[in-house]
Amino acid sequence: MKEITAIIRRDKLPETKNALDELGYPAMTIQSVDGRGKQKGAMCAEMDSEMPESFCTTVKLKPTPSTYALEHTLPKVALYVPKRMLTLIVPDDVVSKLVKSIIKVNQSGKRGDGKIFVSPIEGALRVRTGEMDGEAIS
Amino acid sequence: MKMIRAFIRPEKEQEVVLALEGAGFPSLTKMPVFGRGKQKGLQVGPVHYDELPKTLIMTVVATEDVGKVIGIIEGKAKTGFIGDGKIFVSPVDAVYTVRTGEAVL
Repeated sequence: MKEITAIIRRDKLPETKNALDELGYPAMTIQSVDGRGKQKGAMCAEMDSEMPESFCTTVKLKPTPSTYALEHTLPKVALYVPKRMLTLIVPDDVVSKLVKSIIKVNQSGKRGDGKIFVSPIEGALRVRTGEMDGEAIS
Repeated sequence: MKMIRAFIRPEKEQEVVLALEGAGFPSLTKMPVFGRGKQKGLQVGPVHYDELPKTLIMTVVATEDVGKVIGIIEGKAKTGFIGDGKIFVSPVDAVYTVRTGEAVL
């Protein structure tokens, strides 16, 4: 079993869900997270070309309150971009298929498309029936 | 590659993040979480807080950088009192960048 953690744009979530539905793996956990990449969260136009520059600084980014920064004598505030995080637990043999599908749906070619992490999972249990491991996620 | 999940005090998050950025690890995901530890929450007089707010910082780094990143988080998040948090490290098999489709960090 593998865990696929995909951090994607918020507006691509419905399309991603549909794509995973079609492949037969609709089960997932969705979380609303804030994140930043190599650009340190400070990018607007590159991230979303349709968003006006003035708009994205107020809506898309969540800076820390300046009062906090002053109190703690931080050199600057850390910026974040809101994202959606999907977590799927799937059998080993379909990992590459699902990863390709997620990449295909989410790829816009601009920075901020997200990252996908694949990590091993040792065990699983379906609480309702008590099924273990492979049966629990089928 | 390893995934580092650090549960830290929410008020220490900015300091930790800026310290990581200064050391060349700007990429991370954070989320607000609630939890409790060995002390089963916090007792303040007659009031018992069972679940305390924490910030979960999640980052994936190369295996050789794990010690360095943990050292930075520990150095900035430590106050010496209970509730400073925990750091967990787990293996990551593969990383894909969606924009390019390449399997690099």
